[in-house]
Amino acid sequence: MNPTLSELEAQASKGKAAFGGDAHIVCDNLVRIYKTEGVEVVALQGLDLLVQKGELLAIVGASGSGKSTLLNVLSGLDVPTAGVAKVGGMDLLSMTAKDRLRYRREVVGFIWQQTARNLLPYLSARENVELPMKLAGKARRGRATELLELLGVGYCADRTTPEMSGGEQQRVAIAVALANGPQLVLADEPTGELDSDTSEQVFDALRKANRELGVTVVVVTHDPLVSEQVDRTVGIRDGRTSSETLRREDAEGQIIAEEYAVLDRVGRLQLPRDFMNALEMERRVRLELESDHIGVWPAREEPSGEQ
Amino acid sequence: MKLLHLARVHLGAVAVLLALTLSACLLVAGLPRVTQAAFDAALREALLKAPAERVDLTTMMTTDSPGQDLTRAQSFDELEQDMRAVLPAPLDRLIAPAGTGTGHSGAKTYGTPISGTGGKQYLNLAWLSDQERRVTWVEGRAPGEPTTTTWNNQELTLFEAGMARESMSALGIKIGDTRVIGENNYAAVKVVGAFEAKDPADRYWSHNQDVINLQLNRPAGSLDEEVHATALISDQGLSKLSGRDRNLTYFWILPLRTQAATALDVPELLPAIKEFERRMKVADGMLPRQILRTGLPEMLGSFQARLATAQTVMYLVLGGLLLVALGVILLAVQLLADRMDTALGLMRARGGALRQLAGTGAGLVALAVVPAALAGYALSYLFPGPVLPLVHAGPLLVVVVAVAFAAARIAVAHRTPLNERRDDVATARPSAKRITLEVLVVGLALAGAYLLRTRGLTTDVRTEGQDPFLLLVPLALALAAGLITMRCYPYPLRLLVRLAARMRPAVPFLGLTRAARARSFSMLPVLILLPALGVSVFASVVSGGVGDTQRLASWQSVGAPATVTSRMELPAEAIERVRQVPGVTAVVPAQYASVQVGHTPERAELLAVDLRSWQGLLGGSPITLPTAGTAPSGIPAVVSPALAGRGTFEIGWNSRLKITETGVAPTLPGFFTEGKFIVVPFDVGQRPVVNTLIVGGTASAEALRAAVPDTIVRTQAAALADIQDDPLTGTVRTTLLVVTIALSAYALVAVIIALVIGAADRARALSFLRTLGLSDRQAQRLTVLEVMPMILVTALVGLALGLVLPAALGPGVDLSAYAGGLPVGDYELDLVTPTALAAGLTLVAVLGAYAHTAISRRRSLGAVLRVGDLS
Repeated sequence: MNPTLSELEAQASKGKAAFGGDAHIVCDNLVRIYKTEGVEVVALQGLDLLVQKGELLAIVGASGSGKSTLLNVLSGLDVPTAGVAKVGGMDLLSMTAKDRLRYRREVVGFIWQQTARNLLPYLSARENVELPMKLAGKARRGRATELLELLGVGYCADRTTPEMSGGEQQRVAIAVALANGPQLVLADEPTGELDSDTSEQVFDALRKANRELGVTVVVVTHDPLVSEQVDRTVGIRDGRTSSETLRREDAEGQIIAEEYAVLDRVGRLQLPRDFMNALEMERRVRLELESDHIGVWPAREEPSGEQ
Repeated sequence: MKLLHLARVHLGAVAVLLALTLSACLLVAGLPRVTQAAFDAALREALLKAPAERVDLTTMMTTDSPGQDLTRAQSFDELEQDMRAVLPAPLDRLIAPAGTGTGHSGAKTYGTPISGTGGKQYLNLAWLSDQERRVTWVEGRAPGEPTTTTWNNQELTLFEAGMARESMSALGIKIGDTRVIGENNYAAVKVVGAFEAKDPADRYWSHNQDVINLQLNRPAGSLDEEVHATALISDQGLSKLSGRDRNLTYFWILPLRTQAATALDVPELLPAIKEFERRMKVADGMLPRQILRTGLPEMLGSFQARLATAQTVMYLVLGGLLLVALGVILLAVQLLADRMDTALGLMRARGGALRQLAGTGAGLVALAVVPAALAGYALSYLFPGPVLPLVHAGPLLVVVVAVAFAAARIAVAHRTPLNERRDDVATARPSAKRITLEVLVVGLALAGAYLLRTRGLTTDVRTEGQDPFLLLVPLALALAAGLITMRCYPYPLRLLVRLAARMRPAVPFLGLTRAARARSFSMLPVLILLPALGVSVFASVVSGGVGDTQRLASWQSVGAPATVTSRMELPAEAIERVRQVPGVTAVVPAQYASVQVGHTPERAELLAVDLRSWQGLLGGSPITLPTAGTAPSGIPAVVSPALAGRGTFEIGWNSRLKITETGVAPTLPGFFTEGKFIVVPFDVGQRPVVNTLIVGGTASAEALRAAVPDTIVRTQAAALADIQDDPLTGTVRTTLLVVTIALSAYALVAVIIALVIGAADRARALSFLRTLGLSDRQAQRLTVLEVMPMILVTALVGLALGLVLPAALGPGVDLSAYAGGLPVGDYELDLVTPTALAAGLTLVAVLGAYAHTAISRRRSLGAVLRVGDLS
């Protein structure tokens, strides 16, 4: 079987990761450990991730799988314990406080799940959008209105948070994230609190930012509506990227989704749990290299063969 | 971000901060002014009460040859100008200009006998620079130019002079009479007029008592009195007065402007007086011959000793107040910072530099604190009193500390990219640095307390000034107690938690566990509460101690609600009149006399009184009388220690009496404090001669005086008022009271703010537990159980600290000057006020916890839990 285009693409990106690559986001063997009074929580356990410039990527995973930690690391709010994390060539581990500030001002924008947390409730939408510009010291007149218009919430410019619906608030939050013209927008469950219609609008706004402004967008989501509409969905399990789903249109215009397991640079592979359960694979498996694939066999068939 | 906008959003917290800063600045700037004003008033009163002779600077010069004589009034003025020219600056400010107040100069002869009186009568001549202004001539005329006369074939100078009438009659001189004075260089004095002082009550005459009054002198070993009178001579007469002929002194009075004196000047006045003497010694001309006479250094010295004590107490309580006020303000800043935390976190995440965040926070705090501090500072000018450096420094310190704390706190909170703080894990282990610092504070406090006890707080204050280290000791002790409490209180609590875990109800376990984890109560409230309670209890105990001692002193000085003493016998009708005075419940007659002990010249004071009836009048008073006892033979008597051990001995009173010692008493309240005295039953004499009445009841001194005129009436109430009316005493007690009230208020505010700060956290925990089936009632109990241990422990430790402080510092602080001379020791554990303080605090905390749960019950669970997800 000839490799598909996407397989080739994945191979290509894998190769680059080994060199650090020129991908927009490079996470290599990323580890984040929280430690408080002897209690250790390993939130990221050697996560690998590559995101190309201009990509719209969804990250899915169960609660506690480490996806929010990853987003905090990427947004510069958190510092990983070990590994490599680079965004647009900036190393997130070795940044000085000054670099970090510049990174937050110029490189990244983000949106939290809680609509209330994104905006200061006593400022109007326009003032909220202007806040990051003012903080960076480069306020541009009209920029806030432009952004709000672009995202379809121009009519909310003078409203404060309590006067807007959840969807409007999230779209204003996207405008806030875009205020300083970042290269990367991170969104942590931006539609988590919204109904499906409103989610659609918010996601449209995100996609608009991605397409029209060329911004790389990484969305953490549980929402199938979102994950099914992006080109690539990365699954995280136990602090590692475990699977990737790629979508492409076939010749008839049908969307085809294919799920892949992620193979890391040293050759580690996570088998889906239901596969393992189905064949009762435990502790060890037997691998067999064939001409075009690797077979994975349960170990119990030849208990004595190992001696 | 617009600060005003932010301020409007956090109006509540800003208002709290504003009110706290205003009150703190008002107190910190106002109280020192009031106390200093009282110190000044006390100094002025002391200076005014003392005779001008003691207070003013008097320089004197004697002359013994014609070349040194000052014969013209002008020469006096010139010398005075020289003198004033060398006055050091601090003294110069306080000396009234020449010719004002009591200021004047003059010449006086002394010890000038009238010839032919055998040294029994003396007539001195005096010239005062302003005598025309000071006296009126009531008979005859003012003296004129001296002439000459012949006496015993000698030509003598004949001075014309004027005298006070009293002196003239005492010497038997009439107007027109001439007397010859002197021992060998004689002169004649012709009295041409009689004068009276225009205002004999003027302090001026304190310097010239000899001019308006007769002086009687009994030289040692002589039976007769010498009569000394002084006559005034004219300016022309002065030109004939020479130091060669007789003892002649020139003097200058440099008057002190008592109204201008302030307590702050005292320390520099003492060296200034010494410096003045020194400068006169090294000056040219006649100044080196001047001798300075003044009682001022001595007066200032004793005043300074009293002042130092008052200042020490003031510094102690004001320091405590400042510390606690600052702590509460910091707590309010923390509240405001907590409220702003979300906004600041968002700003930080959206690219706010640390500087911008800290600037915003500090700006908002400054917006509240600066106007409030300015207002408090301005309001403090409504109080009377001088502007001390502390008046400026206090509010400035408050502003700087509050703004700096806000900036630092925000900077620290948002410095790291993401807080590693996790609410579900107990407080982090304290860092080694912090423990070292705490151990240092505790060590310093203990070392300080040891030094304080050995050296005393007020020792050497007169010469060395206040010792700032020792002044900080009580505060350091409070801090140390706070730190130790903070570190140690979770351990017993954890034991309780273990016990509670075995019990069936869940609420005690949950409540105590939350308390033991101590997330809801941070260090700051404890560090505020403890000194607040400690200092306020200390203030109330000291104030109570001073009050009790004042009462004791007044009782000891009078010995009864009132006493009446008379030089003559009080007839039965007079005693009856006293009995009829409204308010008099009982009258105990007594005889007071001086008696001969044995047959020797030894004398003793005797009081014949029925001690039992006297004791009956003293219900509710802090004094007790000695008991009379009975003797097998002779008259039972209580004697002073000086007469003790003599057994039975005779005394000579109206008749000879044989008395037997049945008891020894060091003092007898109201009558004897020292020396030799004897107390015998009332009816020992043949006929009682009542000259003393001991009166019970509440009759006023005026009513008693009206009933028995020409007697000395003393009442305990008046004695107490005398002790309390002293400006220093009044100020000390008022300040202690104000500080007690202010500190209690601050303690309550601290509890409330602490509750509010922990509110969100607690609401989240409670809401979560309510989803598991916690009832409202249980939630309230849980909150109370969570808050109580800390407050209870703090209240108890604060109470103990406040009660121990006076005992610990007692030897170091001598308050006897404020308690009628009695040492204020034995602070009675009057537990009512302190316990009320602590109990009130605990009650408010509990009420706050209840109110808090009541409010949070109104919130919907979903909203709280959703908000709870935020962290």
